[in-house]
Amino acid sequence: MSSALTVLTVFPSAFNVNGDSENAAVLAQRARWSGHSVDVVRWQPGEPVPAAAPGIVVIGSTTDAALPSAIAELRPHRELLAGWIASGVPVLAIGTGWEILGASIELGGAAGTIAALGLVDGRAVAASARVSNDLVVSSAFGRLIGFENHARNWELASGSTPLGTVVYGRGNGATGTSEGLIQGSVIGTHLHGPVLAKNPSLADHLLGQVIEEYDARTVMSGRVDDIARAARNVIATRLELESE
Amino acid sequence: MTAAPVRYAPAIIAGRLVRIAARMRKRGGGSAVPGLVVNRIAPGFLASVLDGFAGGFVIVSGSSGKSTSTKMLVAILEAHGKSIFTNPSTANIAQGLTSALLERVNLAGRIDAEIAVLEMDEGHGAQIAPSLNPTVVLLTNVMTDQIDRFHDSEKVAAMLKRIAQRASKELIINADDAMLLELACDVDSTAELVRYGVSAEVLANNPRGLGYTREATERLSSDAGTVITHVDGRHATVTLAGTEWPISLPARGTHYAVDAAGALSAAASVLGSDFDPALATATLSAVAPVFGRGEIVTVRGKKIEFVLVQNPASFQLNVDSLQRGLDQVLVAVGSDVRDPSYFWPVDSSPLGSVVAVTGSKAHEIALQLSYQGVQIGSITPDLATALDAFLALPEPQTGIKTVIFTADSMRRTRAHLGLV
Ligand SMILES: [Zn+2]
Repeated sequence: MSSALTVLTVFPSAFNVNGDSENAAVLAQRARWSGHSVDVVRWQPGEPVPAAAPGIVVIGSTTDAALPSAIAELRPHRELLAGWIASGVPVLAIGTGWEILGASIELGGAAGTIAALGLVDGRAVAASARVSNDLVVSSAFGRLIGFENHARNWELASGSTPLGTVVYGRGNGATGTSEGLIQGSVIGTHLHGPVLAKNPSLADHLLGQVIEEYDARTVMSGRVDDIARAARNVIATRLELESE
Repeated sequence: MTAAPVRYAPAIIAGRLVRIAARMRKRGGGSAVPGLVVNRIAPGFLASVLDGFAGGFVIVSGSSGKSTSTKMLVAILEAHGKSIFTNPSTANIAQGLTSALLERVNLAGRIDAEIAVLEMDEGHGAQIAPSLNPTVVLLTNVMTDQIDRFHDSEKVAAMLKRIAQRASKELIINADDAMLLELACDVDSTAELVRYGVSAEVLANNPRGLGYTREATERLSSDAGTVITHVDGRHATVTLAGTEWPISLPARGTHYAVDAAGALSAAASVLGSDFDPALATATLSAVAPVFGRGEIVTVRGKKIEFVLVQNPASFQLNVDSLQRGLDQVLVAVGSDVRDPSYFWPVDSSPLGSVVAVTGSKAHEIALQLSYQGVQIGSITPDLATALDAFLALPEPQTGIKTVIFTADSMRRTRAHLGLV
C-alpha cells in the first residue's frame, strides 16, 4: 500500500466507556509495527463526515442514556455507512456500538424500544439480568477472551453467522451459545474494552483485509502478543480452562 | 438530648464488651464488629452522637480528594484551637464509624470534642445520610468510578445529592464540576451554597481538564468563592474573600490545590468570624501529604513516592503530574480492578518507561502501557517479589522511586513493607 491506512473511530468521546475506541489505536500500532503508515481519524459528534472511505471502522460502546441521541446523530449518515459496508470496509462494532447497527434496541422502562440504524440483521432485546463478567468465545480466529457487561441479549436473525460459540459467559444470551455477529465486513461483539489488544489474531484478521501482504510478525508484536497471551492465560486459569 | 445516657449507656457498654472480645480473638482485628452490635441494639446511637458536637459536624464526600481535603480541614480547625473528632475512611462506614465513636464516647453518649469532620465514601455516606444532621457538607467532585457501577456517574451524583440534602448551614461544592453544580441547584434545603474552583489560567494549564465526569463551562470569579489562581509545582495562590494568599501543596498537582480550596472554604464556613486566613493558609501549607497521595516514605533506606490510582481520571491526573523522565516507576494493579478495560482511555505515554509491573492484573496493565508506547522492564504478578526487587535496585538517575498502585495493591504494599 502506498497511501496511509485510515482507521476511523466513531464518536470516541462518547463511545469509549470501556476503552473500546482504543481498539483503533491498537490497529494503528500493529500496522505501524509492521512498517505501514496509519492515520487514526477520530470522528466526533457534530463534525463533518470524513470525506474519503476509511480503511477500517471501529465503533465502541456508549451508555444507554446516550443511545437515542447517538442514533439520531448517525441516522443522516446511514447511507454513507451502508456504502462503506457494502464496499467491504471492515467494521468492528462493540457492545452498544454494535447494537446501534441492528434493527432495534429494547431499552425497557419508559424508553421502550427504539429503532436503530438497520445496517446489520438482528436486534438487541432486554435480558432478565445484567451480566458483568469474563467472556470466552471459540471462534475462527482462535479462542477470544475478554469481558462482557450488558443488560441486553442479541437476537440473531435466522441464517446469521455468529462470531463464535460461548465457552464461558453469556454472549448473545437467551437460547443457544452464540456470541457476536459476522455479517459481510461487519464484526459485532460483546467482548468490550481492548478486545483487539487481548486477542491480536482478530486485529490481524482486520488488518490483513486492508493491507496487502500484511505481516504481523514483528519484534514489537512478538513481545506484546506474549503479554496478551499471558493476560488471556491468567483469565483462562482462573476459569479452570486450558491455558494456551 | 438529656435522654442520651439512659438510652445509650447499655448499648455503649455492650459495644465495648464486644470490642474486648473481638480483640481477644484476633489482635487488632474485628474493629467493625462492635459497631455492628451497637447499630443493631441502638440504631439511633450514631446520629445521636454526631448531632452532639457543639461546634458543628462536617461531612466530606466525593469521588476523589476526600482524604487530603479532610486532613487539611482538620489541621486548619485544630490550628484555630478547636478539638476535632475525625475518622479514618473505612470500608463499611456505618459499622466502622460507630466503632470509632465507641472508642471515644463517654457513657452519656458524648465525645469530648467540639467539631466532627468525617470523610465518607459516596455510597455508604448516602446510605446513612438520611439519619444524620451535618451542619456543613463538602463535595469534592464526581469522577467515573469502578466498572462494576456501570460507569453511572449519574448514580454517584444522586448519592452525593442525598448527602448534600442534609446540610443545615452550608453546602460547599467544587464549582468546576458541572454535576455538582446541577445537584446543588436541585438540593431542597435552606443551607447556603458556597463554591470553590480554579481560575481560567489554572484550567488552561491542565489541557486534559481536571478529571471530572463533566466540567462546568464557566469559571468561578474571585468574588464568588475560593479560587485557585495559580499553580506551579507545589506552590499555589488562592483568593479568599478577594485577598490573594500563597500556599504550599503536599505534592505536585492541581488536584491538591483544589483540595486545599475545598478545605479552606469549609474551614471558613465552620469557623465563621473566627476564621483567620493567614493562620489557615500557613497551617494548610504545612500539612503533610496523605499516604498514597504524594507522601514520600523511606523504606529499607530508600525514598519512595507512593501514588494511589482510584479511577481512570485519577490515573491520568497522577501520570500528568509526575516528573518526566523517571527511570524507576513500578505500577501495581490488583484484583480490585475487576475489568481493566476502563483504564484503556488513559494516556499513559508520559510515563515513558516503567521498570516493573506487578499485581494480579499485571499483564493487563502491561498491555495497556505497551500500546501507549511505554517501555516495560519486568512483569511479575507477585507483588511482594516485585516490591522486594524494586527496592533492591540502586538509586534512580532521575527523581525518586515511584510506586503507582490501585487500592488493593496499596493495602498489600503497606502490609508487606510494614507501613501502617
Ligand atoms: Zn519481602
